[in-house]
Amino acid sequence: MTDVRSPLPTRLVAAAGQWLPPLIVAAGFLGLWSLLTLTVYKGKGFLVPAPQDVAAAFAENFGVIALASLTTLREAAFGYLIAIVLGILIAAVLSQSRILERSFYPYAVLLQTVPVVAIAPLIVLWFGYNDLSVIIISLIISLFPIINNTLLGLQSTPRSLVELFAMHRTNRLATFWKLRAPNALPSIMAGLKISAGLSVIGAIVGEFIIGSGGTQGGLGVQIIFAQGRMYTSLLFAEVICATLLGFLFFLIVTLISNALLGHWHESAS
Amino acid sequence: MNTAATLPDTEKAAASSPSRGGGVPIDLQDVWKAFDTGVRALDVVNLKIAGGEFVSIVGPSGCGKSTLLRIVAGLLAPSGGACVRATNAKAAFVFQDAALLPWRSVLRNAELLMELEGYAAPDRRQRAEKAMQLVGLSGFAAAYPHQLSGGMRMRLSLARAMALQPDLLLLDEPLAAVDELTRDTLQEELQQLWRKLNFTALLVTHNVHEAVYLSTRIAVMSPRPGRIEKVIDVPFAFPRAPDLRSTAEFAALTGEVSAILRHHAGGGQA
Repeated sequence: MTDVRSPLPTRLVAAAGQWLPPLIVAAGFLGLWSLLTLTVYKGKGFLVPAPQDVAAAFAENFGVIALASLTTLREAAFGYLIAIVLGILIAAVLSQSRILERSFYPYAVLLQTVPVVAIAPLIVLWFGYNDLSVIIISLIISLFPIINNTLLGLQSTPRSLVELFAMHRTNRLATFWKLRAPNALPSIMAGLKISAGLSVIGAIVGEFIIGSGGTQGGLGVQIIFAQGRMYTSLLFAEVICATLLGFLFFLIVTLISNALLGHWHESAS
Repeated sequence: MNTAATLPDTEKAAASSPSRGGGVPIDLQDVWKAFDTGVRALDVVNLKIAGGEFVSIVGPSGCGKSTLLRIVAGLLAPSGGACVRATNAKAAFVFQDAALLPWRSVLRNAELLMELEGYAAPDRRQRAEKAMQLVGLSGFAAAYPHQLSGGMRMRLSLARAMALQPDLLLLDEPLAAVDELTRDTLQEELQQLWRKLNFTALLVTHNVHEAVYLSTRIAVMSPRPGRIEKVIDVPFAFPRAPDLRSTAEFAALTGEVSAILRHHAGGGQA
């Protein structure tokens, strides 16, 4: 097949146009940060460490950070995956009956409005100072956006399509799989993207509460440690790692979403 | 959501023979409809449609013409009266928005209704390809609906219906959303399909020109609660050439229909 794409220089310019603006923002941010540490926060590295100090702390404590990241990753991934399965299942059940939805949906909202930080100690009280509690806290915080978006997607099937399926006497199950579920997919993916970052936040909050529990612990535990030791450059490095974890989840979901929706839905790009 | 189970079909309609090919006759007997909200959508309607006819229902917005079409489709149950048609008649519905599944390719969309009706896969594929050929979509089997123009989307919607080889085609303002040039072309193609495939067609539209160009008869409805004010015979012989639209007789008839509409709608759209 012949190459019908634009000539290489044009594509390079297009790529530069896409990547350059965020890179400039990153450079500007790093520059401003450095400037601040050289002026306002000069000699106050315990408040705002210089970028190179953060990098040094990261290199120095790489083993600890890597292990902690893996622990947090595992807990958040479990919480997230269970939230996906449970959230979609709950939404699918609620979508089948107005009465069911009207009965239970307010409590799903309540689940979201209860500050997770406030119930986290309760979860730990019930399930112990262990990974399980962290996973459950991550699950609770990730669950609602998935339920909400899936339900919204399942209920926003165009009327004409519902009528079309009714016209040909399609039963409930076939209508669900051939119509409602695929129609809800973009909405489900939007929910998964929101929850991707939340699941990591939930895991970190959980780790704050359970503390080390005698083990090495995840990033949340390490952040508390670093704070206690006034080791601010390490704290910064760990916060950055936690952020990247959430971003990693988001990236994976976005890739899956694009693969599933790319050929037919405008949300994929 | 109403299903077809509410349709009060009788066997006697099946016995009466259609005048042309596979078209099925329809007999609307004292049909009226009020919604649960108390809104009277449709006054008492009586209309007999012979097998193979092309009948248009024109009327102002909200007069209940779409409600009437949905009663014939079996999607809505009438509050009173009966819509009598053969129980074994195959009906297909064409919606204004084409109602395609965006996640399915053109070919898989063309197969959809047969899939819902439980046709075997090889049969489905063959009929879908034939129907796509009929509407000039053969080269687009692998495309997705979002890649098609409005006119092509409607062609696909027609192909999907044609693949079922329906006895009855119900059209709910199918050409309201396409541009005027495309609309003329699609009207001509719809007429060819109807002449070739011998189905009964019931078209809801607010476009008087469209109704006159396509129909054997036009039922003109009053504003809500709609009833049929007048049924007008369209005398032009088939096949109707595209330039029939620019003749004086055509203009006279559209003028007549518009006048009835205006009279009852109190100067509303025509």
